[in-house]
Amino acid sequence: MKDKADVLQGTLALMALKTLDVLGPLHGYGIARRIEQISGDLLTVNQGTLYPVLLKLEQEGSIASGWGVSENNRKARFYRLTRSGRKQLQAETRSWEQTAAIIGRFFAVKAEHLK
Amino acid sequence: MRALRRFFRRLWSWAATQRDEERLRLEIEEHLALQTAENIRGGLSPAEARREAMLKFGAVEGMKEDYRQQRGLPALERPIQDTRYALRRLRMAPAFTVATVLILALGIGATTSIFTLVHAVLLKSLPVANPGELFRLGRESNCCYSGGYSFDKEFSLVSYDLYKYLRDNTKGFAELAAFQASFQTAPAMFGVRRSGSPEAAKSYGGEFVSGNYFTMFGLGAYAGRTITADDDQPGTSPVAVMSYRLWIEGYRSDPSVVGSVFSLNDKPFTVVGIAPPGFFGDSLLSSPPDFFLPLNMEPYVEVDADLYKYDTHWLDLIGRIQPGANPAEIEAQMRVELKQWLLQHWSEMSAADRARFPQQTLYLRPGGAGITSMREQYGRWLQILMTATGVVLLIVCANVANLMLIRGLERRRQTSLSLALGAPVSRILRESLIESMLLSLLGGAAGLAVAFAGTRLILRFAFISATGFAGVPISASPSMPVLLFALITSLVTGIVFGGAPAWIATRVDPIEALRGANRSTARAGSLPRKALVALQAALSLALLSAAGLLTTALQRLEHQDFGFEPDGRTVANINARLAGYRTEQLPALYRRIHDAIANVPGVSSVALCLYAPPLWGWGSGVFVDGRPAPQPGDDNSAAYDRVTAGYFEVVGTSILRGRGITDEDTAISRKVAVVNEAFARRFFGTENPIRRHFGYRPGASGELEIVGVTRDARYFTHGLDRPTGPMYFLPATQADYTRPNVGSLFLHSIVIQTKPGSLVTAAAVGQAVASVDPNLPIISMHSLREQVTNQFTQQRLIARLTSLFGILSLVLASIGIYGATANNAGRRVSEIGVRMALGAHRGDVIRLVLRGALGLIVIGLSIGLPLAFAAGRLLASQLYGMNPNNPAVTLWAVLALALPALAASLIPALRASRISPLDALRTE
Repeated sequence: MKDKADVLQGTLALMALKTLDVLGPLHGYGIARRIEQISGDLLTVNQGTLYPVLLKLEQEGSIASGWGVSENNRKARFYRLTRSGRKQLQAETRSWEQTAAIIGRFFAVKAEHLK
Repeated sequence: MRALRRFFRRLWSWAATQRDEERLRLEIEEHLALQTAENIRGGLSPAEARREAMLKFGAVEGMKEDYRQQRGLPALERPIQDTRYALRRLRMAPAFTVATVLILALGIGATTSIFTLVHAVLLKSLPVANPGELFRLGRESNCCYSGGYSFDKEFSLVSYDLYKYLRDNTKGFAELAAFQASFQTAPAMFGVRRSGSPEAAKSYGGEFVSGNYFTMFGLGAYAGRTITADDDQPGTSPVAVMSYRLWIEGYRSDPSVVGSVFSLNDKPFTVVGIAPPGFFGDSLLSSPPDFFLPLNMEPYVEVDADLYKYDTHWLDLIGRIQPGANPAEIEAQMRVELKQWLLQHWSEMSAADRARFPQQTLYLRPGGAGITSMREQYGRWLQILMTATGVVLLIVCANVANLMLIRGLERRRQTSLSLALGAPVSRILRESLIESMLLSLLGGAAGLAVAFAGTRLILRFAFISATGFAGVPISASPSMPVLLFALITSLVTGIVFGGAPAWIATRVDPIEALRGANRSTARAGSLPRKALVALQAALSLALLSAAGLLTTALQRLEHQDFGFEPDGRTVANINARLAGYRTEQLPALYRRIHDAIANVPGVSSVALCLYAPPLWGWGSGVFVDGRPAPQPGDDNSAAYDRVTAGYFEVVGTSILRGRGITDEDTAISRKVAVVNEAFARRFFGTENPIRRHFGYRPGASGELEIVGVTRDARYFTHGLDRPTGPMYFLPATQADYTRPNVGSLFLHSIVIQTKPGSLVTAAAVGQAVASVDPNLPIISMHSLREQVTNQFTQQRLIARLTSLFGILSLVLASIGIYGATANNAGRRVSEIGVRMALGAHRGDVIRLVLRGALGLIVIGLSIGLPLAFAAGRLLASQLYGMNPNNPAVTLWAVLALALPALAASLIPALRASRISPLDALRTE
């Protein structure tokens, strides 16, 4: 059984990848904001947890980072999706959709359907 | 794939820690700035906006920790961190560290030095190519020389003819080589002189080997060339290969040695090459050979040659099998060949040989270690020593474990604090284990130095070789296997002594320790410590008792009634054969040597003999006149010695009946013999042997008349523990010197009795012999007492080493008992104070403290006594007939352990009794 943190990390990683896929290169705050906007409460308390996830993704080669200038003219770290990251996103999206579909069907089943 | 990439990235980040820290800090700063700006746009005041931003970001330190975990390699970092921490802790306790490392060094060093010997003697292969492909003839190494067409157990030696038959018919061997079997652990001796050199001949070991000897071993020459099959033919020019050792030490690696002519036993040989460094021949010997000569040169050097005798078996065989050949098939094939060869010689075989024909067989065994006579000779005592060092190492472990336990107790509060703050138990265990590992590795490193020194010392005393001869080819410097052994021993030691204390250390209840007061019921940890101390005492008792048994057995050997007088006698050894004498020249030579030495000042009498006691070398069958011929299976063998007139008086053996050998026994007088008591008993029972006749050949039983019976003198015929066997003495004058070059005609020893109070130096004897013939070297000269004690070198070494280990274990056990008692007394200071305040006397306090220590000693003794008896039973075969259950020795061992142990516990007891009650109560 996966740790709760691992589950959260896995979801976060997928969200971060999707964000970068949709919006292009973005700094950590930007990713956090975007996830927050879409997911609601999930990240409101602990935006900081995003950074270890980004580090892991970078180590795995799914994203790359470089220094750039943010909208308030400060030095900021920008992340972008790499080719292997895009592939990973596609694969994970598929598997996620499959899982979601199965789980969805499973929950839709009611007791009387099984009789 | 991704995991691998991540691993390398993490490895890289780990190396570049600083930059990443900075990057994270900047990223957090930027994040907070952006969020704050956002919040301000949302209408918050700047201070409030910043606060909100930080709240939203969450716990920075926790995140950082998480980030670091992700970034580097904690699995790699933490042990390094722990090691650094452990080193710092060890540095802070220098006394503890130094003491522990020293104790460990002694234990690991002793074990490693004995292992160096075990490895060299019992485990190592010959330094040749692919030793795994080599197979040797014979299950046991058989000494040197055997006649006839049958063996009792197996054909482990072969004649030259049988060798050629086996070599030419066994196709499974790529090469099958033969070489002269060595006598015990020494090679045959040659008198060697470089041609044209004015120096006297020196004697060096040499060995006759077949032409394919070096090819079979896969060895080339270091310089020049090796002997080849072409050199091993009758009638070719004589060549020899010199050992690397002699070339370096004797001739200072003079390149002109190769190609120059040396005379060996007065026969010229061309040295064609130098054997490779480190090659010490086919067997591990205490003095390896320095010359390798082709087998076919044997008749050239020895007049009484063995080479062409079909029934004289004097060659060992080692062969290299064809790749993929099956040794079992080769063995089966060789057995058939042996039978075929024997059948070819059926007409020459005696009735006894023919009767034993069906049982004749041979065995092929792995030969990568060569001919392992040394293995058989030293194996047993190396096992004893290895066991003894193992016990010492156990005691060392127990001792250090005890120190670690005490240290763990001292650190109790720190451990509980760490646990209370959330340190995982595994981490504390690991820290503790790393500390023990560090200690044991340091101890192991120091132990290597101890081992090196120890091995050199043992080698010097264990394998005595005369100066100028090659020493035993065992190096004291640690080889790879020895280093590995020391490393593994250290690690295992570390786990053994560190594991339990580490576990106990983690079993503290945080609350308990934090409640404070050192007075807390800390007795919880004292049971394992007591057990350890008792264990040390028990093991130590077993070792002490073993040492006592071995020492007593040695003393009995050394102080037995030898039947001759070892004091006031000197023995000089010569070898006229090395100076090129022919047998017919010998009687005159002996007379002249006798007269020359008799005239040396301080000499009271002199006699020559084939060998002086306690050595032994020659034997024959005995055929008594008027008795039926002995049947096969009857033991009619006896040892014999050839001596000059007055020999018994010179060595101090008394004549019981008749007379000794005198000047009346000349070459033309009737042939006589003097026999010892064992001879008289064996062959004549209660009859009077005087004037009876016997012979040493069947059909010549009237040859010798017995004129005297002597006391049994100890000539160590077969072993130190065997009773003296039958022996007869012949006058040297009556030997048949017309027989050319018969070995037993060359008398080797000159026994010199000195006048009381005077000293006869080697130089004076040397001069006297040189005045007879300057080319006749004195090979060695010892007092007869030395010659006797040299027989017990091995026994003495084992006894001394075991005693040394026993004393070491005793010291360690005493330290253990001292430590336990002192610690116990220290913890009871306040209790003692209360007791004294309530009126207890000093005596009561001493008794109180001693009672605990005494209990430990008694438990130790009661476990140790059965161990000691078990050790005695194991040693029984090494005690030369002494009963291993020797109450005196046991008592001695018990006292040797109990007294120092009591003394060790008395010190803290006395100290405790001097506590002032006031001070004691104040420590609350």
